[in-house]
Amino acid sequence: MPSGAAAKRVMLLAGVVMLALLIAGFVVGAIGSQMFGAPRFLAQPAIHLPPQPVFPISAAKESLGYSDYPKEAEEKPAADAEHPPAAGSADHGDAEEEHHFKPMGVTQFAITNTLLSAWLTSIVIILFFVLGARKRAMVPGRFQSVVESIFEGVLSFASSVLGPEMACKAFPVVATIFFFVLFNAWIALFLVPIYQAVGLGSGGLWDFELKAHLIRPAGTDVNMPLALALISFVFVEYWGIRVLGLGYFKKFFAFGNLLRGRPSGLIDVFVGILELISELVRIVSFTFRLFGNMTAGEILVVMITFLVPFVANIFVFGLELLVGLIQAVIFAGLTLVFLSLAVHHEEH
Amino acid sequence: MVELGINLPLLIAYLVTFVILLAILYQFAYKPLMAAMDQRSERIQEGLSAAEQARQEAASSQAAIEEQLNEARREGQRLLDQAREASQRYRESEMERARQEAEAFAERARADIQRERDAALDELRASFGDLAITAAERVIRRSLDRQAHEELITQVLEEGESLRRG
Repeated sequence: MPSGAAAKRVMLLAGVVMLALLIAGFVVGAIGSQMFGAPRFLAQPAIHLPPQPVFPISAAKESLGYSDYPKEAEEKPAADAEHPPAAGSADHGDAEEEHHFKPMGVTQFAITNTLLSAWLTSIVIILFFVLGARKRAMVPGRFQSVVESIFEGVLSFASSVLGPEMACKAFPVVATIFFFVLFNAWIALFLVPIYQAVGLGSGGLWDFELKAHLIRPAGTDVNMPLALALISFVFVEYWGIRVLGLGYFKKFFAFGNLLRGRPSGLIDVFVGILELISELVRIVSFTFRLFGNMTAGEILVVMITFLVPFVANIFVFGLELLVGLIQAVIFAGLTLVFLSLAVHHEEH
Repeated sequence: MVELGINLPLLIAYLVTFVILLAILYQFAYKPLMAAMDQRSERIQEGLSAAEQARQEAASSQAAIEEQLNEARREGQRLLDQAREASQRYRESEMERARQEAEAFAERARADIQRERDAALDELRASFGDLAITAAERVIRRSLDRQAHEELITQVLEEGESLRRG
Protein backbone atom coordinates (compact mmCIF):
# COMPACT_ATOMS: atom_id res chain seq x y z
CA MET A 1 0.00 0.00 0.00
CA PRO A 2 1.57 3.28 -1.00
CA SER A 3 1.41 5.83 1.75
CA GLY A 4 1.29 9.57 2.09
CA ALA A 5 2.01 11.62 -1.01
CA ALA A 6 2.23 8.57 -3.28
CA ALA A 7 -1.23 7.43 -2.27
CA LYS A 8 -2.58 10.90 -2.79
CA ARG A 9 -1.09 10.98 -6.27
CA VAL A 10 -2.53 7.60 -7.16
CA MET A 11 -5.93 8.71 -5.92
CA LEU A 12 -5.72 11.90 -7.92
CA LEU A 13 -4.69 10.02 -11.05
CA ALA A 14 -7.52 7.57 -10.61
CA GLY A 15 -9.95 10.44 -10.15
CA VAL A 16 -8.73 12.11 -13.33
CA VAL A 17 -9.01 8.87 -15.29
CA MET A 18 -12.49 8.30 -13.94
CA LEU A 19 -13.56 11.79 -14.84
CA ALA A 20 -12.11 11.42 -18.33
CA LEU A 21 -13.91 8.13 -18.77
CA LEU A 22 -17.11 9.69 -17.49
CA ILE A 23 -16.87 12.52 -20.02
CA ALA A 24 -15.88 10.17 -22.82
CA GLY A 25 -18.74 7.90 -21.87
CA PHE A 26 -21.13 10.79 -21.92
CA VAL A 27 -19.92 11.86 -25.36
CA VAL A 28 -20.14 8.43 -26.97
CA GLY A 29 -23.23 7.43 -25.03
CA ALA A 30 -26.77 7.75 -26.29
CA ILE A 31 -27.34 11.27 -24.99
CA GLY A 32 -23.98 12.64 -26.07
CA SER A 33 -24.09 11.13 -29.52
CA GLN A 34 -27.43 12.83 -30.11
CA MET A 35 -26.09 16.15 -28.86
CA PHE A 36 -22.68 16.13 -30.54
CA GLY A 37 -23.28 13.76 -33.39
CA ALA A 38 -20.54 11.42 -32.20
CA PRO A 39 -20.71 7.80 -33.24
CA ARG A 40 -22.71 5.83 -30.77
CA PHE A 41 -20.62 3.40 -28.76
CA LEU A 42 -23.36 0.90 -28.00
CA ALA A 43 -26.41 -0.20 -29.88
CA GLN A 44 -29.73 0.32 -28.25
CA PRO A 45 -30.32 -2.68 -26.01
CA ALA A 46 -33.37 -4.82 -26.47
CA ILE A 47 -35.26 -5.57 -23.29
CA HIS A 48 -36.91 -8.95 -23.03
CA LEU A 49 -39.01 -9.75 -20.03
CA PRO A 50 -39.40 -13.46 -20.74
CA PRO A 51 -36.30 -15.60 -20.42
CA GLN A 52 -34.77 -16.74 -23.65
CA PRO A 53 -34.17 -20.39 -24.35
CA VAL A 54 -30.59 -21.26 -25.20
CA PHE A 55 -30.78 -25.02 -25.26
CA PRO A 56 -31.65 -26.94 -27.33
CA ILE A 57 -30.38 -24.69 -30.10
CA SER A 58 -33.45 -25.26 -32.21
CA ALA A 59 -35.70 -23.85 -29.48
CA ALA A 60 -33.38 -20.90 -29.10
CA LYS A 61 -33.45 -20.18 -32.79
CA GLU A 62 -37.16 -20.38 -32.92
CA SER A 63 -37.64 -18.08 -29.97
CA LEU A 64 -35.05 -15.64 -31.15
CA GLY A 65 -36.78 -15.36 -34.46
CA TYR A 66 -33.84 -16.42 -36.54
CA SER A 67 -36.28 -17.47 -39.17
CA ASP A 68 -37.54 -13.91 -39.60
CA TYR A 69 -34.15 -12.35 -39.69
CA PRO A 70 -33.04 -11.40 -43.19
CA LYS A 71 -29.38 -12.24 -42.60
CA GLU A 72 -30.30 -15.80 -41.66
CA ALA A 73 -32.21 -16.38 -44.83
CA GLU A 74 -30.43 -19.64 -45.49
CA GLU A 75 -31.49 -20.98 -42.13
CA LYS A 76 -35.09 -20.09 -42.57
CA PRO A 77 -36.28 -23.13 -44.46
CA ALA A 78 -34.46 -25.53 -42.19
CA ALA A 79 -35.78 -23.90 -39.06
CA ASP A 80 -39.25 -23.80 -40.44
CA ALA A 81 -39.13 -27.36 -41.52
CA GLU A 82 -37.86 -28.63 -38.19
CA HIS A 83 -39.90 -26.41 -36.00
CA PRO A 84 -43.09 -25.19 -37.49
CA PRO A 85 -44.18 -22.05 -35.69
CA ALA A 86 -46.23 -22.74 -32.63
CA ALA A 87 -49.92 -22.04 -32.75
CA GLY A 88 -49.54 -18.99 -30.57
CA SER A 89 -46.89 -17.41 -32.70
CA ALA A 90 -49.40 -15.43 -34.74
CA ASP A 91 -50.59 -13.66 -31.61
CA HIS A 92 -47.14 -12.36 -30.96
CA GLY A 93 -46.34 -11.22 -34.40
CA ASP A 94 -45.84 -7.63 -33.29
CA ALA A 95 -43.40 -8.59 -30.61
CA GLU A 96 -41.52 -10.74 -33.05
CA GLU A 97 -41.17 -7.94 -35.53
CA GLU A 98 -40.03 -5.59 -32.86
CA HIS A 99 -37.50 -7.73 -31.03
CA HIS A 100 -37.10 -10.70 -33.29
CA PHE A 101 -37.93 -12.64 -30.20
CA LYS A 102 -40.86 -14.87 -29.41
CA PRO A 103 -41.38 -15.98 -25.82
CA MET A 104 -41.82 -19.64 -25.13
CA GLY A 105 -45.26 -21.04 -24.64
CA VAL A 106 -46.46 -21.81 -21.13
CA THR A 107 -45.77 -25.51 -21.44
CA GLN A 108 -42.91 -25.56 -23.92
CA PHE A 109 -39.77 -26.89 -22.38
CA ALA A 110 -36.35 -25.50 -23.10
CA ILE A 111 -33.39 -24.60 -20.96
CA THR A 112 -33.26 -20.84 -20.69
CA ASN A 113 -30.39 -18.53 -19.95
CA THR A 114 -31.94 -17.74 -16.58
CA LEU A 115 -32.06 -21.40 -15.65
CA LEU A 116 -28.41 -21.76 -16.60
CA SER A 117 -27.66 -18.81 -14.39
CA ALA A 118 -29.57 -20.38 -11.52
CA TRP A 119 -27.53 -23.55 -11.93
CA LEU A 120 -24.30 -21.61 -12.00
CA THR A 121 -25.36 -19.79 -8.87
CA SER A 122 -26.30 -23.04 -7.18
CA ILE A 123 -22.89 -24.48 -7.97
CA VAL A 124 -21.19 -21.39 -6.58
CA ILE A 125 -23.28 -21.52 -3.41
CA ILE A 126 -22.54 -25.20 -2.95
CA LEU A 127 -18.82 -24.66 -3.51
CA PHE A 128 -18.79 -21.72 -1.15
CA PHE A 129 -20.49 -23.50 1.70
CA VAL A 130 -19.16 -26.96 1.21
CA LEU A 131 -15.61 -25.65 1.06
CA GLY A 132 -16.32 -23.45 4.04
CA ALA A 133 -17.81 -26.29 6.04
CA ARG A 134 -15.44 -29.01 4.86
CA LYS A 135 -12.47 -28.56 7.12
CA ARG A 136 -14.36 -27.86 10.28
CA ALA A 137 -11.26 -26.71 12.11
CA MET A 138 -11.84 -25.80 15.71
CA VAL A 139 -9.97 -22.58 15.15
CA PRO A 140 -11.32 -21.43 11.78
CA GLY A 141 -9.21 -19.95 9.01
CA ARG A 142 -10.20 -16.83 7.14
CA PHE A 143 -12.50 -18.42 4.60
CA GLN A 144 -14.13 -20.65 7.16
CA SER A 145 -14.65 -17.65 9.43
CA VAL A 146 -16.37 -15.75 6.65
CA VAL A 147 -18.65 -18.65 5.80
CA GLU A 148 -19.40 -19.31 9.44
CA SER A 149 -20.09 -15.70 10.29
CA ILE A 150 -22.49 -15.40 7.34
CA PHE A 151 -24.14 -18.61 8.43
CA GLU A 152 -24.31 -17.48 12.01
CA GLY A 153 -25.72 -14.09 11.00
CA VAL A 154 -28.60 -15.72 9.16
CA LEU A 155 -29.14 -18.14 12.02
CA SER A 156 -29.28 -15.39 14.62
CA PHE A 157 -31.62 -13.44 12.37
CA ALA A 158 -33.92 -16.46 12.22
CA SER A 159 -33.60 -16.94 15.97
CA SER A 160 -34.56 -13.34 16.65
CA VAL A 161 -37.78 -13.78 14.69
CA LEU A 162 -38.73 -17.34 15.57
CA GLY A 163 -36.95 -18.16 18.77
CA PRO A 164 -34.04 -20.57 18.89
CA GLU A 165 -35.94 -23.85 18.79
CA MET A 166 -38.14 -23.14 15.79
CA ALA A 167 -35.28 -21.33 14.07
CA CYS A 168 -33.22 -24.52 13.96
CA LYS A 169 -36.04 -26.34 12.19
CA ALA A 170 -36.92 -23.57 9.77
CA PHE A 171 -33.35 -22.49 9.19
CA PRO A 172 -32.35 -24.66 6.21
CA VAL A 173 -35.15 -23.54 3.92
CA VAL A 174 -34.98 -19.90 4.93
CA ALA A 175 -31.21 -19.76 4.64
CA THR A 176 -31.30 -21.44 1.27
CA ILE A 177 -33.84 -18.90 0.05
CA PHE A 178 -31.66 -16.12 1.38
CA PHE A 179 -28.47 -17.39 -0.22
CA PHE A 180 -30.17 -18.28 -3.47
CA VAL A 181 -31.64 -14.80 -3.89
CA LEU A 182 -28.50 -13.07 -2.70
CA PHE A 183 -26.05 -15.04 -4.83
CA ASN A 184 -28.30 -14.83 -7.86
CA ALA A 185 -28.30 -11.06 -7.59
CA TRP A 186 -24.64 -10.67 -6.75
CA ILE A 187 -23.07 -13.16 -9.09
CA ALA A 188 -24.76 -11.38 -11.97
CA LEU A 189 -23.01 -8.22 -10.85
CA PHE A 190 -19.63 -9.78 -10.17
CA LEU A 191 -19.59 -11.79 -13.38
CA VAL A 192 -21.03 -9.01 -15.45
CA PRO A 193 -18.71 -9.51 -18.48
CA ILE A 194 -19.81 -13.12 -18.80
CA TYR A 195 -23.40 -12.24 -18.22
CA GLN A 196 -23.44 -9.33 -20.63
CA ALA A 197 -21.14 -10.46 -23.41
CA VAL A 198 -21.56 -14.20 -23.87
CA GLY A 199 -24.57 -15.27 -25.75
CA LEU A 200 -26.23 -16.44 -28.86
CA GLY A 201 -26.43 -14.15 -31.77
CA SER A 202 -25.91 -13.75 -35.43
CA GLY A 203 -23.08 -12.52 -37.55
CA GLY A 204 -19.36 -13.04 -37.43
CA LEU A 205 -16.76 -11.99 -34.93
CA TRP A 206 -16.93 -8.30 -35.82
CA ASP A 207 -20.53 -7.69 -36.75
CA PHE A 208 -21.77 -9.96 -34.02
CA GLU A 209 -25.24 -9.10 -32.94
CA LEU A 210 -26.16 -10.49 -29.54
CA LYS A 211 -29.68 -11.74 -29.42
CA ALA A 212 -29.82 -13.78 -26.27
CA HIS A 213 -27.38 -13.86 -23.42
CA LEU A 214 -26.18 -17.31 -22.59
CA ILE A 215 -26.74 -16.60 -18.93
CA ARG A 216 -28.93 -13.95 -17.43
CA PRO A 217 -29.69 -13.30 -13.76
CA ALA A 218 -32.29 -15.79 -12.65
CA GLY A 219 -34.14 -13.12 -10.72
CA THR A 220 -35.18 -11.53 -14.00
CA ASP A 221 -37.10 -14.67 -14.88
CA VAL A 222 -40.50 -14.55 -13.25
CA ASN A 223 -40.46 -18.33 -12.79
CA MET A 224 -37.61 -18.19 -10.29
CA PRO A 225 -39.30 -15.79 -7.83
CA LEU A 226 -42.52 -17.69 -8.40
CA ALA A 227 -40.83 -20.96 -7.52
CA LEU A 228 -39.32 -19.44 -4.38
CA ALA A 229 -42.66 -17.88 -3.46
CA LEU A 230 -44.39 -21.24 -3.83
CA ILE A 231 -41.72 -22.90 -1.72
CA SER A 232 -42.06 -20.21 0.91
CA PHE A 233 -45.84 -20.56 0.84
CA VAL A 234 -45.82 -24.34 1.10
CA PHE A 235 -43.17 -24.16 3.79
CA VAL A 236 -45.20 -21.73 5.90
CA GLU A 237 -48.43 -23.69 5.49
CA TYR A 238 -46.63 -26.94 6.26
CA TRP A 239 -45.27 -25.67 9.54
CA GLY A 240 -48.55 -24.01 10.41
CA ILE A 241 -50.40 -27.30 10.01
CA ARG A 242 -47.61 -29.27 11.62
CA VAL A 243 -47.52 -27.11 14.73
CA LEU A 244 -51.18 -26.20 15.14
CA GLY A 245 -52.75 -29.24 13.47
CA LEU A 246 -56.14 -28.76 11.84
CA GLY A 247 -56.67 -25.80 14.14
CA TYR A 248 -54.47 -23.92 11.75
CA PHE A 249 -57.39 -23.58 9.34
CA LYS A 250 -59.59 -21.96 11.98
CA LYS A 251 -57.86 -18.76 11.04
CA PHE A 252 -59.32 -18.91 7.54
CA PHE A 253 -62.69 -20.54 8.14
CA ALA A 254 -63.80 -18.81 11.30
CA PHE A 255 -67.38 -20.07 11.53
CA GLY A 256 -67.14 -20.84 15.24
CA ASN A 257 -68.93 -17.76 16.56
CA LEU A 258 -71.48 -17.73 13.76
CA LEU A 259 -72.49 -21.35 14.41
CA ARG A 260 -72.94 -20.48 18.06
CA GLY A 261 -75.52 -17.97 16.94
CA ARG A 262 -73.61 -14.82 17.57
CA PRO A 263 -74.10 -12.16 14.92
CA SER A 264 -70.58 -10.88 15.46
CA GLY A 265 -69.43 -14.17 13.97
CA LEU A 266 -70.07 -12.62 10.57
CA ILE A 267 -67.10 -10.36 11.17
CA ASP A 268 -64.95 -13.38 11.98
CA VAL A 269 -66.01 -15.05 8.76
CA PHE A 270 -65.15 -11.96 6.82
CA VAL A 271 -61.80 -11.63 8.55
CA GLY A 272 -61.12 -15.29 7.80
CA ILE A 273 -61.78 -14.69 4.11
CA LEU A 274 -59.43 -11.72 4.20
CA GLU A 275 -56.79 -13.86 5.89
CA LEU A 276 -57.17 -16.50 3.21
CA ILE A 277 -56.83 -13.94 0.44
CA SER A 278 -53.82 -12.29 2.05
CA GLU A 279 -52.21 -15.69 2.49
CA LEU A 280 -52.59 -16.37 -1.21
CA VAL A 281 -51.67 -12.88 -2.31
CA ARG A 282 -48.32 -13.34 -0.58
CA ILE A 283 -47.28 -15.63 -3.41
CA VAL A 284 -47.96 -12.89 -5.94
CA SER A 285 -46.32 -10.18 -3.88
CA PHE A 286 -43.28 -12.34 -3.19
CA THR A 287 -42.97 -13.14 -6.88
CA PHE A 288 -43.29 -9.68 -8.27
CA ARG A 289 -41.30 -7.94 -5.59
CA LEU A 290 -38.23 -9.98 -6.38
CA PHE A 291 -38.88 -10.19 -10.10
CA GLY A 292 -39.49 -6.45 -10.34
CA ASN A 293 -36.44 -5.51 -8.33
CA MET A 294 -34.09 -7.81 -10.19
CA THR A 295 -35.48 -6.93 -13.61
CA ALA A 296 -35.47 -3.22 -12.88
CA GLY A 297 -31.91 -3.51 -11.67
CA GLU A 298 -30.80 -5.25 -14.83
CA ILE A 299 -32.63 -2.76 -17.03
CA LEU A 300 -31.12 0.09 -15.05
CA VAL A 301 -27.63 -1.31 -15.51
CA VAL A 302 -28.20 -1.82 -19.22
CA MET A 303 -29.76 1.58 -19.74
CA ILE A 304 -27.14 3.50 -17.80
CA THR A 305 -24.47 1.65 -19.76
CA PHE A 306 -26.26 2.58 -22.94
CA LEU A 307 -26.68 6.22 -21.95
CA VAL A 308 -23.27 6.83 -20.38
CA PRO A 309 -20.85 3.95 -20.92
CA PHE A 310 -17.79 3.13 -18.80
CA VAL A 311 -17.78 4.45 -15.27
CA ALA A 312 -21.23 5.88 -14.63
CA ASN A 313 -22.35 2.35 -13.84
CA ILE A 314 -20.28 2.14 -10.68
CA PHE A 315 -23.00 3.87 -8.71
CA VAL A 316 -25.67 1.66 -10.20
CA PHE A 317 -23.57 -1.38 -9.31
CA GLY A 318 -23.30 -0.23 -5.73
CA LEU A 319 -27.02 0.33 -5.66
CA GLU A 320 -27.67 -3.07 -7.16
CA LEU A 321 -25.45 -4.80 -4.61
CA LEU A 322 -27.54 -3.18 -1.92
CA VAL A 323 -30.79 -4.08 -3.67
CA GLY A 324 -29.67 -7.70 -3.99
CA LEU A 325 -28.92 -7.89 -0.28
CA ILE A 326 -32.15 -6.14 0.65
CA GLN A 327 -34.22 -8.42 -1.55
CA ALA A 328 -32.57 -11.49 -0.06
CA VAL A 329 -33.20 -10.18 3.46
CA ILE A 330 -36.79 -9.29 2.61
CA PHE A 331 -37.55 -12.62 0.99
CA ALA A 332 -36.04 -14.63 3.83
CA GLY A 333 -37.28 -12.23 6.49
CA LEU A 334 -40.86 -12.21 5.25
CA THR A 335 -40.82 -15.98 5.06
CA LEU A 336 -39.68 -16.02 8.67
CA VAL A 337 -42.32 -13.51 9.72
CA PHE A 338 -45.11 -15.37 7.95
CA LEU A 339 -43.84 -18.56 9.48
CA SER A 340 -43.88 -17.09 12.96
CA LEU A 341 -47.40 -15.74 12.33
CA ALA A 342 -48.56 -19.15 11.17
CA VAL A 343 -46.95 -20.97 14.06
CA HIS A 344 -47.91 -18.62 16.86
CA HIS A 345 -51.37 -17.84 15.64
CA GLU A 346 -53.09 -19.02 18.81
CA GLU A 347 -51.31 -16.48 20.91
CA HIS A 348 -52.59 -13.50 18.97
CA MET B 1 -48.54 -14.89 -18.98
CA VAL B 2 -46.48 -15.62 -22.03
CA GLU B 3 -45.20 -12.08 -22.37
CA LEU B 4 -44.16 -12.21 -18.76
CA GLY B 5 -42.40 -15.48 -19.40
CA ILE B 6 -44.31 -17.77 -17.09
CA ASN B 7 -43.49 -21.27 -18.15
CA LEU B 8 -44.52 -24.40 -16.34
CA PRO B 9 -41.52 -26.62 -17.08
CA LEU B 10 -39.22 -23.78 -16.17
CA LEU B 11 -41.06 -23.27 -12.90
CA ILE B 12 -40.71 -26.95 -12.11
CA ALA B 13 -37.05 -26.79 -13.09
CA TYR B 14 -36.51 -23.96 -10.59
CA LEU B 15 -38.37 -25.85 -7.91
CA VAL B 16 -36.25 -28.93 -8.51
CA THR B 17 -33.09 -26.83 -8.59
CA PHE B 18 -34.00 -25.24 -5.31
CA VAL B 19 -34.86 -28.52 -3.66
CA ILE B 20 -31.61 -30.11 -4.83
CA LEU B 21 -29.68 -27.08 -3.65
CA LEU B 22 -31.44 -27.26 -0.31
CA ALA B 23 -30.72 -30.95 0.05
CA ILE B 24 -27.05 -30.59 -0.84
CA LEU B 25 -26.59 -27.56 1.38
CA TYR B 26 -28.42 -29.23 4.22
CA GLN B 27 -26.35 -32.37 3.99
CA PHE B 28 -22.94 -30.89 3.28
CA ALA B 29 -23.08 -27.40 4.69
CA TYR B 30 -25.77 -26.73 7.26
CA LYS B 31 -25.43 -29.91 9.23
CA PRO B 32 -21.62 -29.83 9.49
CA LEU B 33 -21.60 -26.10 10.13
CA MET B 34 -24.25 -26.40 12.76
CA ALA B 35 -22.43 -29.32 14.36
CA ALA B 36 -19.12 -27.46 14.20
CA MET B 37 -20.63 -24.38 15.73
CA ASP B 38 -22.35 -26.35 18.45
CA GLN B 39 -19.13 -28.18 19.12
CA ARG B 40 -17.19 -24.96 19.22
CA SER B 41 -19.62 -23.22 21.52
CA GLU B 42 -19.56 -26.31 23.71
CA ARG B 43 -15.78 -26.21 23.69
CA ILE B 44 -15.77 -22.52 24.49
CA GLN B 45 -18.26 -23.13 27.26
CA GLU B 46 -16.02 -25.85 28.62
CA GLY B 47 -13.00 -23.61 28.35
CA LEU B 48 -14.80 -20.80 30.09
CA SER B 49 -16.01 -23.00 32.89
CA ALA B 50 -12.55 -24.54 33.21
CA ALA B 51 -11.03 -21.09 33.41
CA GLU B 52 -13.62 -20.08 35.95
CA GLN B 53 -12.89 -23.20 37.95
CA ALA B 54 -9.15 -22.59 37.75
CA ARG B 55 -9.71 -19.02 38.85
CA GLN B 56 -11.80 -20.19 41.76
CA GLU B 57 -9.24 -22.80 42.63
CA ALA B 58 -6.49 -20.23 42.51
CA ALA B 59 -8.54 -17.92 44.66
CA SER B 60 -9.33 -20.65 47.14
CA SER B 61 -5.73 -21.82 47.26
CA GLN B 62 -4.68 -18.22 47.74
CA ALA B 63 -7.12 -18.01 50.57
CA ALA B 64 -5.86 -21.29 51.95
CA ILE B 65 -2.29 -20.06 51.82
CA GLU B 66 -3.35 -16.85 53.49
CA GLU B 67 -5.16 -18.85 56.10
CA GLN B 68 -2.17 -21.08 56.65
CA LEU B 69 0.09 -18.08 56.96
CA ASN B 70 -2.23 -16.52 59.47
CA GLU B 71 -2.44 -19.81 61.29
CA ALA B 72 1.34 -20.08 61.36
CA ARG B 73 1.61 -16.51 62.52
CA ARG B 74 -0.90 -17.12 65.26
CA GLU B 75 0.81 -20.37 66.18
CA GLY B 76 4.16 -18.61 66.36
CA GLN B 77 2.69 -15.87 68.45
CA ARG B 78 1.09 -18.42 70.69
CA LEU B 79 4.33 -20.36 71.06
CA LEU B 80 6.18 -17.18 71.81
CA ASP B 81 3.63 -16.19 74.39
CA GLN B 82 3.72 -19.64 75.85
CA ALA B 83 7.49 -19.58 76.02
CA ARG B 84 7.46 -16.17 77.56
CA GLU B 85 4.89 -17.24 80.07
CA ALA B 86 6.74 -20.45 80.79
CA SER B 87 9.95 -18.61 81.32
CA GLN B 88 8.14 -16.14 83.53
CA ARG B 89 6.61 -18.95 85.47
CA TYR B 90 9.94 -20.73 85.68
CA ARG B 91 11.64 -17.61 86.86
CA GLU B 92 8.99 -17.03 89.46
CA SER B 93 9.07 -20.62 90.61
CA GLU B 94 12.83 -20.56 90.72
CA MET B 95 12.82 -17.39 92.68
CA GLU B 96 10.22 -18.83 94.98
CA ARG B 97 12.27 -21.93 95.39
CA ALA B 98 15.42 -19.93 96.04
CA ARG B 99 13.60 -17.85 98.55
CA GLN B 100 12.17 -20.91 100.21
CA GLU B 101 15.57 -22.53 100.22
CA ALA B 102 17.11 -19.46 101.66
CA GLU B 103 14.36 -19.29 104.21
CA ALA B 104 14.73 -22.95 104.99
CA PHE B 105 18.42 -22.45 105.29
CA ALA B 106 17.94 -19.49 107.57
CA GLU B 107 15.37 -21.44 109.54
CA ARG B 108 17.70 -24.27 109.90
CA ALA B 109 20.47 -21.96 110.89
CA ARG B 110 18.17 -20.27 113.35
CA ALA B 111 17.09 -23.65 114.69
CA ASP B 112 20.74 -24.69 114.99
CA ILE B 113 21.55 -21.50 116.75
CA GLN B 114 18.60 -22.00 119.03
CA ARG B 115 19.61 -25.53 119.66
CA GLU B 116 23.19 -24.56 120.26
CA ARG B 117 22.02 -21.82 122.58
CA ASP B 118 19.69 -24.17 124.40
CA ALA B 119 22.45 -26.69 124.66
CA ALA B 120 24.80 -24.01 125.82
CA LEU B 121 22.25 -22.74 128.30
CA ASP B 122 21.63 -26.26 129.52
CA GLU B 123 25.28 -26.79 129.81
CA LEU B 124 25.62 -23.45 131.50
CA ARG B 125 22.80 -24.23 133.82
CA ALA B 126 24.35 -27.51 134.65
CA SER B 127 27.70 -25.79 135.14
CA PHE B 128 26.03 -23.17 137.26
CA GLY B 129 24.45 -25.85 139.35
CA ASP B 130 27.78 -27.47 139.78
CA LEU B 131 29.36 -24.17 140.48
CA ALA B 132 26.66 -23.28 142.96
CA ILE B 133 27.07 -26.62 144.66
CA THR B 134 30.81 -26.24 144.66
CA ALA B 135 30.49 -22.73 145.92
CA ALA B 136 28.01 -23.86 148.56
CA GLU B 137 30.34 -26.63 149.55
CA ARG B 138 33.15 -24.23 149.88
CA VAL B 139 30.97 -21.81 151.73
CA ILE B 140 29.77 -24.38 154.06
CA ARG B 141 33.16 -25.81 154.51
CA ARG B 142 34.60 -22.50 155.50
CA SER B 143 33.15 -20.49 158.18
CA LEU B 144 30.63 -18.17 157.16
CA ASP B 145 32.06 -14.71 156.92
CA ARG B 146 30.98 -12.00 154.67
CA GLN B 147 34.18 -11.38 153.12
CA ALA B 148 34.70 -14.94 152.27
CA HIS B 149 31.24 -15.16 150.83
CA GLU B 150 31.70 -12.43 148.44
CA GLU B 151 35.04 -13.60 147.37
CA LEU B 152 33.60 -16.97 146.78
CA ILE B 153 30.71 -15.77 144.74
CA THR B 154 32.87 -13.59 142.67
CA GLN B 155 35.23 -16.41 142.15
CA VAL B 156 32.38 -18.65 141.09
CA LEU B 157 31.01 -16.03 138.80
CA GLU B 158 34.41 -15.50 137.35
CA GLU B 159 34.70 -19.15 136.79
CA GLY B 160 31.27 -19.09 135.21
CA GLU B 161 32.34 -16.26 133.02
CA SER B 162 35.36 -18.04 131.95
CA LEU B 163 33.13 -21.01 131.30
CA ARG B 164 30.89 -19.06 129.12
CA ARG B 165 33.74 -17.61 127.25
CA GLY B 166 35.14 -21.03 126.75
